Amino acid sequence: MLASFDTHIFWEALTSGPYWKGALLALELTLVSLTAACVIGFFLALGRSSHFRWVRSLVFFYNWIFRATPTLLQLLFIWNGLPQIWSTFASDWFKPFLAAFIALSLNEAAYMSEIIRAGLLSVDPGQELAGKALGMTRPRILRRVIVPQAIRIIIPPTGNEFITLLKLTSLAYVISLHELLTAAQVRGAADFHYAEAYSAAVVYYLVIVSVLMAIQAQLERRFTWSSAGRRRRAAVPLVAHDAR
Amino acid sequence: MNDVVLRAEDVHKSYDGLDVLRGVSIEVGRGEVKVIIGPSGSGKSTLLRCLALLEPVDSGSVHLDGDELSGLREKQLAVHRSEVGMVFQRFNLFQNMTALANVMCGLVEVRRLKKREARERALEFLERVGLQDKADNYPEELSGGQQQRVAIARALVMRPKAMLFDEPTSALDVELVREVLDVMEGLARDGMTMVVVSHELRFAHHVASSILMMDEGKVIEEAPPEKFFSSPSHERTRRFLALVE
Repeated sequence: MLASFDTHIFWEALTSGPYWKGALLALELTLVSLTAACVIGFFLALGRSSHFRWVRSLVFFYNWIFRATPTLLQLLFIWNGLPQIWSTFASDWFKPFLAAFIALSLNEAAYMSEIIRAGLLSVDPGQELAGKALGMTRPRILRRVIVPQAIRIIIPPTGNEFITLLKLTSLAYVISLHELLTAAQVRGAADFHYAEAYSAAVVYYLVIVSVLMAIQAQLERRFTWSSAGRRRRAAVPLVAHDAR
Repeated sequence: MNDVVLRAEDVHKSYDGLDVLRGVSIEVGRGEVKVIIGPSGSGKSTLLRCLALLEPVDSGSVHLDGDELSGLREKQLAVHRSEVGMVFQRFNLFQNMTALANVMCGLVEVRRLKKREARERALEFLERVGLQDKADNYPEELSGGQQQRVAIARALVMRPKAMLFDEPTSALDVELVREVLDVMEGLARDGMTMVVVSHELRFAHHVASSILMMDEGKVIEEAPPEKFFSSPSHERTRRFLALVE
């Protein structure tokens, strides 16, 4: 059955330096890209409902470009194409991590903008009206009233995005970023014990996602507004969706 | 001191080519309570929103304490909006804040009071509407009547020059209407200047200085309650009253 699965090699791979570093790198890349994507996505979402037609068109164009093309292509374009057309990037400081960060942030921002927009739209317009009637300015209403309420809607799909993004970091393998998949690939190729090498990587991905799910459940409770009701709520299931 | 607190003059307003207000004038003196009635679509709520400076008027003017405000830009308008209290049909309490935080919000975010001071004053006003024991509850945990009383406290705590009520009881269960009307009657007794859109005719009868009948974007009749109910001069008013009662 498991005749040729060597648990020693599995354990050795699991606890080896390249795996740790690879996993950490993947996690870091996911976190910084998702954070940047949330910020960019927030302004894209606001832009979608701008009074100015050109702003709306710009956002539409952005989302169109980044959603219609493969993430891998965008990654390669930033890494190989950008230094070619913009010499500033043809230099030593332009490392694979930075290229992956730029590509994944820009890509993810397009998806986050739709999620954030849906969140903002889900807040009852009466909330803004009441803030206005009190004399609050629009930025203040956004910060104190609308955004906190939108976050409740935004959290579950953002959890999905985190998972998608974590898995997308493995694409950075092709631009020689030494993330988790690279570690597994290298370890497997060393003595052809691929099954052990890949299984160790599987464990890392599972652990990271499990921790995320726990954090998400906490956050959802944090953004539930009833005092009794920081009670345990059935977590919205994390459904893996698209393969980009 | 000018004795007219709130005044609108020949206000026109249309949405997408639909004339909602077609030349409305109204004058509310200090301490007066004006009750506006009329069929749906007659422009009552729109008039109230124009008075609350929430909607710009197409033509005509809105004056608060003698100052014309209808021409102001958004940024200056925000300040003046806080001088007029607005109570909505659907309460519109901030869902992410406790009752206390709702009442504190305007003091902290608009008046820039220190949290402690805002808290004290907010508690005082919650007590005034009889809800000090609900201070830490979220809107979701309050009944409609309680939510509306918190909403009244939230507007009152800003010490507005006038209070506007847009059908404050029409989203409430029958047995919760009374507690809200009681609070409003108390306000009227204390001399608050009020404009109330409502079909609570008994409230209008007891509290109103005068009643306005609106129809098709115009005020077609204004009279003190006695006269308004006993001998309305307008045929449209008579027909409407017959339907409401």
